[in-house]
This record gives sequence, C-alpha cells and structure tokens, in this order.
Amino acid sequence: MKILVALDVNTYSSKIVKDVARLAQNTLADLVFLGVQNGTDELDQTLLSTLMRYQQDIYSYFGRDELPYAEISSEKWSKTGKGDWSVSSKGMKEFTLRILAGTISKQVVQAATDMECDLVILGCSKEFGCEWDGEMNVPLRIAEDSPCSVLVIKQSRKSDQIVSILDQSVVNQDALEMVNQIVTINDAGLKIVGVKDKNEDKESEIEKRMVELLTYYNEREVHAWVKLINSENVKEYVTNASREAIVALWMGGKQSLIKRLFSKSMIDQLLETSKSSVFILR
Amino acid sequence: MLKTLLYINEDLASSIALRFTGYLNKFIPLSLFVTHVEEPDEKEQVGTGWVRRTWEDGVASSGKRLIDRMLRTENIDCPLAGRPKVFVGDRDTEIMYELQNGVYDLFVTGYLDAADPEQFYDLISSPLCTNPSSPTLVVKNLSLSKKCALLCADSVDPEVLVKKSLEILGDSTFEMDIVFFKFMDSDKMKVLDLEEGGKHLTETMALLADAGKTVHNTTVLSGTPEQVGDFLKDYALVASTLPSRKSMRMYTLAYSLASVLLVHEKKQD
Repeated sequence: MKILVALDVNTYSSKIVKDVARLAQNTLADLVFLGVQNGTDELDQTLLSTLMRYQQDIYSYFGRDELPYAEISSEKWSKTGKGDWSVSSKGMKEFTLRILAGTISKQVVQAATDMECDLVILGCSKEFGCEWDGEMNVPLRIAEDSPCSVLVIKQSRKSDQIVSILDQSVVNQDALEMVNQIVTINDAGLKIVGVKDKNEDKESEIEKRMVELLTYYNEREVHAWVKLINSENVKEYVTNASREAIVALWMGGKQSLIKRLFSKSMIDQLLETSKSSVFILR
Repeated sequence: MLKTLLYINEDLASSIALRFTGYLNKFIPLSLFVTHVEEPDEKEQVGTGWVRRTWEDGVASSGKRLIDRMLRTENIDCPLAGRPKVFVGDRDTEIMYELQNGVYDLFVTGYLDAADPEQFYDLISSPLCTNPSSPTLVVKNLSLSKKCALLCADSVDPEVLVKKSLEILGDSTFEMDIVFFKFMDSDKMKVLDLEEGGKHLTETMALLADAGKTVHNTTVLSGTPEQVGDFLKDYALVASTLPSRKSMRMYTLAYSLASVLLVHEKKQD
C-alpha cells in the first residue's frame, strides 16, 4: 500500500503525524510526504525542514528494530523537474519527501495519480468548517478529485465508532483493510450502513455487499453492527453520524448510488459538520 | 436445553441470525431446529390432489436446498437437533402452526436493523410476535458480547419481565445487567441515581435476587430512544416485555443495536 500525506507548516498538519505513524505501522505502507509551495525557482526551506521534522517524528514512533524505512539525508534533495523536488530512501519500504510548486489541491491529486497511491491523508483546521491554510475548499477538492481513497482528519481525536456507509458498488479490498486499520487505531466499533434506493430493487445486492463486509470484519474480530437505511434519509443520517463518529463513505463507480446522492455541496457539508475525520473510500 | 426454532431465508438478516444463534448456544445450550417457508405467488399455485402435492414437493425441495446453502455458507457452531423443516404457504401462518405444534421454548428470527422504527413495530405487532406460543428473539446484529440486559421502565411489569426472561436467560452464562429507561428529550443522555428507577426498579432487583440471579450493573438512563438504543449496543441481547403500542420503550427497542428478546405475559395454549 502506498499512502500520500499532504502536509504544510500549520498545526493541523503536525497533529495528523501520530495517526499516519500508526497507520504506517499497521499496514507497512510506502509513504510519500508531499508539500506544495508557490514559486518554482527556489525550494522553500521552511517547508523542507517541516517535512524533514515530520519524517523524523514518524521514525520515532517505530522501535529501533521495526523501522521499515531507511534514513533520509537532507543533503540528498534533488530537483527532478520544474518546481519538483524530492528525496527518497529505500529500506524494506520506501519513504519519499516531495515538494511541488503550484496549487495544493491540483498537485496532491496529480501526485496521487502519478505515484499510483492507494490513500491520500490530509488534515484540516477545525475552527471554520474544514479549511487548509485559510482556503475552505482544498480538502473538498482533494476528496472529490482524487483517484484513490481520501482520509481528511479534522481533529485527531479518538472516536468510538466508525460509520461506514455503502451502496451496491463493489467493495475494494484495500479500502476494506483501510477501514479495518482505522477501527483498530481508534479501538472503535464499526457500524456498516447499507443505503438502498427506493426506486430500485437492489436490496439483495446491498445485502450481499453487507454480508461480505460483515464476514470480512468478523474474521478479523472487528466488532461490527449493520443497519439498512433508505436513500432519502442518507444525508440526514450521515450528517448526524458525523457529529460523533468517523464517517467512511464508499464512493463507487458511475453507478454508485452514494456518488449520485452526495453532491459536492453534501461532501462539503459533511467536512464542515464532522468533528473528527471523514473517509472517502474508492 | 431450550428447544429453539430459527427461521431462515437467504438474506443478510438470516445470515446474522444464524451466526448469532451459534454464538448464543455458547451461553444458553440450545436444541436447535431451523425452518423456512416457501411463499409461492398465487399464479404459481397449481392443481389439486396428486398434482398439487407433486408441485408442493418441488417447491419444498427448493426450500431445502436454500437451507442447505445457508447452513453450508454460515457453518455455525451449533448442531441441529433435527432435520430442517420446510413449509409451503403463508410464512407467519406456517411458523405459528409449527411453534404451537412443536412446543418450542424460543423462536428466533433475523431483522435487518432499519432507520425507520415503524418497520420494527410492524414486526413486533405482527401475529408472529403478539400471539406466539413462545418468546421471540429478534436478532438485529451479531453482537459478540458476554452481557445481556433486562430493559425496565415504568410501563413494564417487573414480575412478567423477570419471570419470563429467566425462563430463557436463567441458566445462561451471560452477565446480567438492568437498564432502566426514562424518556427525556435532551441532546445528551444522563445516568441518574438508582432511586430514580422507583418501585419498578426496586421490585425487579428484588425478584432477580430471589431467583438467585446476580446483577452486575444497574443503570438508570434518562434520554431519547435513539440515545438509549445506542447505549444498548454493548449487549448481546436486551430482554423486554412486548410493547403493546408505539411507546417510547418500543422506539428504544427499535433503535437498539443489540438483539431484542421479547417476552410475553402468558404462553398461549
């Protein structure tokens, strides 16, 4: 698994490092720490040293014998293209620090696509909805446009429940495992909520998906509850759930009911009302 | 051993009910029978006499295959006490007939927890639950907990609750708690002093003590049905007397994530 973590110099970024470390420990993932700066000529030294510090913080969470990443030297940063700097180390797993010039949301989505990442993680400020460096729509754009799953950590706090909302779409194995890890990290219970469309007879398909999920999580001794709701109640249900729990939305392909129901404004609202984290699964 | 009849169909609710029954058997030894009813459309029903019997045998065979598939898939850790019973006809009527004839101690059915509590009310007010010859366990979830709770409220007769619940749970190895529900429309659920449970709670505790049952925790909760229903998720099952109307206790049971054991005042003859 490859995880891209979008980071900047703000407090909300530093606060997600612990969660990233625990996720990396549990999944033994390749990690990419990505920062985005304005100018293309000079490397932003403040951003560089911040990323190096985060990388050291991650390493410190691992025991001496269990660190899967090799050391990174700050002198080995190299320019690999216009407005593109990076440094990597290859141990048992790869750790990459990368700084790109440009717009944060575009560069994160582009990097996640180019580097074939399975998950993007980013933090956001909790004071005014969910903002990134004073901009309100950065987490929304990344959540909307990323080719892979996205975890927006609004406030790194323990939630005792993960509410996983799914429709009839086929469930991806990596996404299943990611939810499992989020449940483990938070020591939480998992509520699997199936959404059925009133106008379509998809009940059995949804139930089939729910059986698959229940079996998967039961085998891993994850405590899961199931619930079935109608599509007309989903927005209200998700908004209420997000006040206490971490919400995981499975956004499938073109046929995805949830994708149709959740317009951009709904995801925006979800990011705004959520008190902990929002997980968009693909 | 409790003679138990479990209804199964090929759906998620039955899948959960099967697994939960296997889990329940670890705490309450069950003598388990499974049943399924094939409900053909009226259009499908053909002929009389030999023709009809042959047609019914065909339909029943398909029901037997369904049960075999479910049992094979779920592979539950609870042996069956007899061959699966497959009937053709109206589901509720056939099950009620079997419950009366078979003299079962417990009827178990799966229910896929829905956001709409009215669906739960439809189930528990159906003849299958209101006029059965045995208590009904509505399996909502696979809660792998070692605790069960008796749900008390001012509207609950302590004697019926304790006596009838202990007929099922008396010899079980579940830890038993009492949860007393008081309705209050508030943003946050409150835990009150035990005195707030009043005489119904005192009587329930006394009856359990008389029966030699240890109660691990007694909690008086004041909140909405949604809040208390969510609180109940940590229990494998919650026992309650059957609500006769759409009361706040009915809504609490509807919102309960744990399975619900509905006990009745009288066994029907």
